[in-house]
Amino acid sequence: MSGQAEELQELREVTRRFLADKASISDTRRVVESGRSCDEAVWKQMAEQIGLQGIAVPEQFGGAGMGPVELGVVCEELGRTLYAGPFFATVVMAAQALVAADDVEAAERWLPGIVEGALTGTLAVADLTGEIDPEKVLTTAEPDGEGGWRLTGSKRFVVDGCSADLILAAALVEGEVGLFGIDGDAAGLTREPLAQLDPTRALAVLTFEATPAQRVATDAAAVLGRVRDLVSAHLAAEQAGGAAAALEMAVEYAKVREQFGRPIGSFQAIKHMCADRLLDVESARNAASAAAALLADHDPEASLTASAAAAWAGPAFTRVAKDNIQIHGGIGFTWEHDAHYFLKRAKSSEVLFGSPAHHRARVADLAGI
Amino acid sequence: MTTIQHPVHPSVDDPSHALHAESDEEFRLRLRAFLTSGGPGPRPRDPRERVAWTKAWHRNLYDAGYAGPSFPQEVGGMDLPFGRQVIYQEEIARAKVPGALGTGLGIVAPTIIRYGTEVQKQTWVRAMLRHDEVWCQGYSEPGAGSDLPSLRTTARREGSGEDEVYVVNGQKVWTSSGILADTLFCLVRTGSQESRQKGITYLIIDAKAPGVTIRPLKDLNGGTIFAEVFLDDVRVPVANRIGEENSGWALVRTSLGHERAAGSMNQAARYRRVLDELIQLAQERGLTSDPLIRDQLADFDIRVRLMRFNAERIIAGILERGEPGPTSSVSRLMLTTFEQELHEFAVDMLGPDGLVTKASDAAVQRARWLSGFLTSRAATIGAGTAEIQRNTIAEQVLRLPHDPAMPPR
Ligand SMILES: Cc1cc2nc3c(=O)[nH]c(=O)nc-3n(C[C@H](O)[C@H](O)[C@H](O)COP(=O)(O)OP(=O)(O)OC[C@H]3O[C@@H](n4cnc5c(N)ncnc54)[C@H](O)[C@@H]3O)c2cc1C
Repeated sequence: MSGQAEELQELREVTRRFLADKASISDTRRVVESGRSCDEAVWKQMAEQIGLQGIAVPEQFGGAGMGPVELGVVCEELGRTLYAGPFFATVVMAAQALVAADDVEAAERWLPGIVEGALTGTLAVADLTGEIDPEKVLTTAEPDGEGGWRLTGSKRFVVDGCSADLILAAALVEGEVGLFGIDGDAAGLTREPLAQLDPTRALAVLTFEATPAQRVATDAAAVLGRVRDLVSAHLAAEQAGGAAAALEMAVEYAKVREQFGRPIGSFQAIKHMCADRLLDVESARNAASAAAALLADHDPEASLTASAAAAWAGPAFTRVAKDNIQIHGGIGFTWEHDAHYFLKRAKSSEVLFGSPAHHRARVADLAGI
Repeated sequence: MTTIQHPVHPSVDDPSHALHAESDEEFRLRLRAFLTSGGPGPRPRDPRERVAWTKAWHRNLYDAGYAGPSFPQEVGGMDLPFGRQVIYQEEIARAKVPGALGTGLGIVAPTIIRYGTEVQKQTWVRAMLRHDEVWCQGYSEPGAGSDLPSLRTTARREGSGEDEVYVVNGQKVWTSSGILADTLFCLVRTGSQESRQKGITYLIIDAKAPGVTIRPLKDLNGGTIFAEVFLDDVRVPVANRIGEENSGWALVRTSLGHERAAGSMNQAARYRRVLDELIQLAQERGLTSDPLIRDQLADFDIRVRLMRFNAERIIAGILERGEPGPTSSVSRLMLTTFEQELHEFAVDMLGPDGLVTKASDAAVQRARWLSGFLTSRAATIGAGTAEIQRNTIAEQVLRLPHDPAMPPR
């Protein structure tokens, strides 16, 4: 095995072991059923013991200095247990926006806290849809006269919006999009949880009324473009992980559940579903890792590939999650069984940052179709 | 079938010498130079001439030492390491030279290399590589397709010593390129019918031998992709058996290293080209302004990319761990579905114009999409149906239990 392949394998194993120990699917269930969106102790340990929060943060800000390839592997593993916590919002969305921005001061202010597990964050761009689309920003920002800014507007579908210590929000300054940092407890900020499908990923509606903010000095449109691609690729990795875990559940059950005197997995209808879903899983995983590798290299094909991965992985995960329930029969329809968590995560992440049709349109644009 | 002869030695430019000295890039350029300068020339339109032209090209390739990338050098192959096989396949695809005739090289040649006697290897594999003979597959029978172990073509031993033969009786069907066959590689029954796969023997049969009748079968597209083969008291020397009597079944799935995987990037590249041509056609006809058509084309575009990533994963798996991993088991499902859906979409997209056959001058692009729509039906039937393939993935990759109502494997 090449050096890089070996290191990735090790990262995968370390992450998987940590999750098996502290954040398995049962832990996800425990957290969610207790009405929380995160187990803070585990979040802390994740930073202190295996440093996942800092994996793709440059060393100068306290991170491990790795990139999208490694972060993708971590997201895939977190996806397997439907990890309920602020990882995606903090590490993929907020931290990667700060890494992509060329504002060293902002990076120094926030990234070390994220790396240590002391600070959580999120990113809010499109006001109405949750997409990371700088064209869909309506919130506005005005200077407060003392070097700071004030934001007015609202953002829907903000991931971990109620709990994030730092909210990075896009807002218009004289028609141009800018990026702003807002404290979670800032004056003039209202945060309301949004009742929605996926209990393992909290969403919120944020309202800004002349809310004090600090501007991240950068080309916000370019930064958001980069983050959009990273989110697409890493969400696809997460989806591939969730899909793989759901397929494993289905296959394991099909081996032991007996009807008509034989394991249901010996029935062809079940076999064929599983075989087709294996194609879904393998292709999702390969597409997500291809996108991550291209993003790491800043390859010109990276954006297109990220959207291709997203367009495939979202529906693929949903197909697997649905078949998992089907293969489980009645028990798969119960609240007690974990299968519904996978379906809810799958459907929610399929549409959250842009639908498959949206990503296909983007592929068509970028491929010149 | 040719009689046993002295092995032919690749004459010029033996790649084995160069292998260690030259870099991958140098290898690529050397091969490319050969494929361009020594290329086969323009493709004849007449089908008969085209066969002769294809044979001449493969003879040329063999004589120059560029045939059989994964085959051992002792039988005239190149014995390339896997990474070079990938390069080889890329260059072959790039040069658009004609592919091999018959199905022997991909299927029976690895079996002979692994289980054949020295004489069999030297005679048969070289003859196939050099296209002195076209080899075709006689496995399927009218009553035995997916359930191949139920086959009924019998082989009965007669005579003794040097003159001992198998007398073969039965019928084979769906024999691809059957009308071109010089040699048939067949599965025949030497045990009882009930013995199923335990009573099957692997025999090589001269297609020109008395008692062999090959009749073309017209396929749904009007061509003659395959044929039917009647075997009436055909006398086959016992020396034409591969492996032991009644142990032919175990030889059926022999593959040689990962030759197929080495070509998987090409498959993806080929579909890339086909899709690009369809997109261009859609654009020329102003159809991409229709959002539904655009959405579909983007979906195909994404799937072609995924095929490439899957191929990359398979190849990386072999290079890094020596095994291609689960992606390789499912990638064919992806390709076959894609091929069928793409062509059907093209026909739909063209509307009634898509229905015009190549017999008319009004046909769009010589009706390639329409023929593709028809021909691609075979993608999920030939070489094992998609259903059987899913069974295999489920049982061998996912380890789901065997169906107890089915005979044991
Ligand atoms: C273009 C083409 C070229 C071919 N070339 C060759 C060749 O060169 N040499 C050769 O020997 N053969 C060749 N074949 C034959 C091919 O291998 C068989 O057609 C194939 O194995 C299916 O067998 P069958 O046609 O008898 O269909 P059947 O086995 O009768 O299958 C009919 C249908 O039943 C389904 N079915 C059967 N068993 C099961 C099961 N257990 N579970 C679920 N579904 C099942 C099949 O999937 C299929 O849908 C070729 C076929 C085609 C179309």
